[in-house]
Amino acid sequence: MLLIDAIFIGLLEASPLILAAMGFTLIFYLNGFMNIAYAESITFGAYFAVLFNVVLGAHFYLSIVPSMLLSGCLSVAVYLAIFRPALNRGVGPTEMIILSVGVSFMLRYGLILVVGPENLFLNEPNITYMQFMGLGASNLQLVALVLVFVGAGVLYWMIYNTGLGEQMRGLANNHDLAMASGINPHRTSVAIWFIAGCAGGLSGVFSGVFAQVTPYMGWNVILITMLVTIVAGIGSVRGAVIAAVVAGVLTAFITLVTKPLYSEVALLMAFIGVLTFRGARTA
Amino acid sequence: MDYLIFSFSLMLVYIGLAQLLHVQFGLLGIPNFGVVGFWGLGLYGTGVLYVSYDVPLVPAIIVASLIVAVVSYVLASMVLQRSGQAILAATLAFAAMVATLVVTEKQLTNGVQGLGTIGFPFGDLASRNVVYFGVLLAVVVALIWVSAKLRDSRMGRMMIAIRDNEELAASLGKDTAGTKRTVFVVTCALMGLLGGLTAPLHQFLVPYHLAPSLTFAVWIALVLGGKSHNLGAMIGVFATFGLFDILIETYAPVPAEQAIMLPNFKLFCYGVLLVMIIMFRPAGMLGEDRPRHRARADAAPANDTAVKEG
Repeated sequence: MLLIDAIFIGLLEASPLILAAMGFTLIFYLNGFMNIAYAESITFGAYFAVLFNVVLGAHFYLSIVPSMLLSGCLSVAVYLAIFRPALNRGVGPTEMIILSVGVSFMLRYGLILVVGPENLFLNEPNITYMQFMGLGASNLQLVALVLVFVGAGVLYWMIYNTGLGEQMRGLANNHDLAMASGINPHRTSVAIWFIAGCAGGLSGVFSGVFAQVTPYMGWNVILITMLVTIVAGIGSVRGAVIAAVVAGVLTAFITLVTKPLYSEVALLMAFIGVLTFRGARTA
Repeated sequence: MDYLIFSFSLMLVYIGLAQLLHVQFGLLGIPNFGVVGFWGLGLYGTGVLYVSYDVPLVPAIIVASLIVAVVSYVLASMVLQRSGQAILAATLAFAAMVATLVVTEKQLTNGVQGLGTIGFPFGDLASRNVVYFGVLLAVVVALIWVSAKLRDSRMGRMMIAIRDNEELAASLGKDTAGTKRTVFVVTCALMGLLGGLTAPLHQFLVPYHLAPSLTFAVWIALVLGGKSHNLGAMIGVFATFGLFDILIETYAPVPAEQAIMLPNFKLFCYGVLLVMIIMFRPAGMLGEDRPRHRARADAAPANDTAVKEG
């Protein structure tokens, strides 16, 4: 029973993480560096939802899609303005991470300077709790879960079954060969950064509605997203989904048996352990 | 005045941390993103020994640094031979673990309520904070001097070889894994030492001190100043901590309503600075300095223009 509870709670809690990990992985795979500024795709997704939902007064469900798309546009803008020029200059992977930390600071504290540091709340739709075989969840959580799985499924299908996915995998594995076979690296990269930004934005909207919208919400999940991605192996979207689910279920399980704070420590230790024993397959 | 001395003492700690990071990343190429973890373990280790076990300050700092050395040895043997990105994530995770454990282990650290108080040594001296500043200054100057000596030594050349191409260095029969581990453990222990030395400055320790912002402040300073230049750490800290935290916060005429946003503005500027420097001057403000090779200078002094003396 404990196990079923853990799996159920874990899936509910991990649903934003699954999306974030997939988007993060896409960029990692395509460009070969960990984009810490991806945290701001998550944060800005939630803030765009606040804009539509609270400031403009739209229904929560209606504000999901535009916030997601705006977050994708922001991701593309950052890519075109900063990351693409840097990659063209031949900045190394570790320096790219530091650069992305700078971009992250710039966006996050720029946001705070504009909208203020206060925590905001989204106007939730009517929440009803449902019971299903002794497991309780709100309708909002179930909608999120369904949407996340639909989103994850579409993303998965896109990467492994469509032309764009093939182009992306080609570019990631051998840039020169991909260009020689007529793949336009520019168009593919823009598309991937857009999709990754959308996934982050959607993840942010759901984390925001489950709790609250803060300027640090993306930053707080980026470490776990990073670890999930690394443990999953470079750019394995399949691996990222599995690792995110496992991380969610594991956290839920440890939280149920001990104090919540210990679950974080145990999870981090598990990650370092996996990094150690994965050997050559690790990033 | 006391506040200014506190700020300058803290600045010295930042310089020391950035200097150690220069050795780890600038010379050896290990991206340690867990600076606050090693520093914080030294800080809290010293605090717990001093407050709960009545150990005098100096032995407490030494024991805490040794604890950091042991912990960093374990971490080093686990992840140091992985790729840079894996090391980065693992050290970041380590720092997060330290920050969480400080909150959970209440019986040792007193949790979020804070641990205190840790007084300055030299008990009855009136201007003991000034003397303490002198001690910190001596430690930091020594760190800068030793890392310059290290860079010019045999060990230093091997470190640079490992940074540039580890397989090549290993194929020449050098013990690259051992060198990396030794240097990592020693520099992390010294970060712990700096943490222990910070304890009397803060006097009262709260988990907030272990926020990851310290790691990023040190990284930004180092990258800004020049990660592979021996004085890059110092210049970088002057340009970030010195400029924003000391000059602007103390002297700038900012109205009180806006002063609350000043730290956010500061971090925004750090972000912009970091992006600019990596885009336009990736080696940092000072660039990379040429090591002085004594042996080569003896052999052919006329040919090598980089050799100024010795």
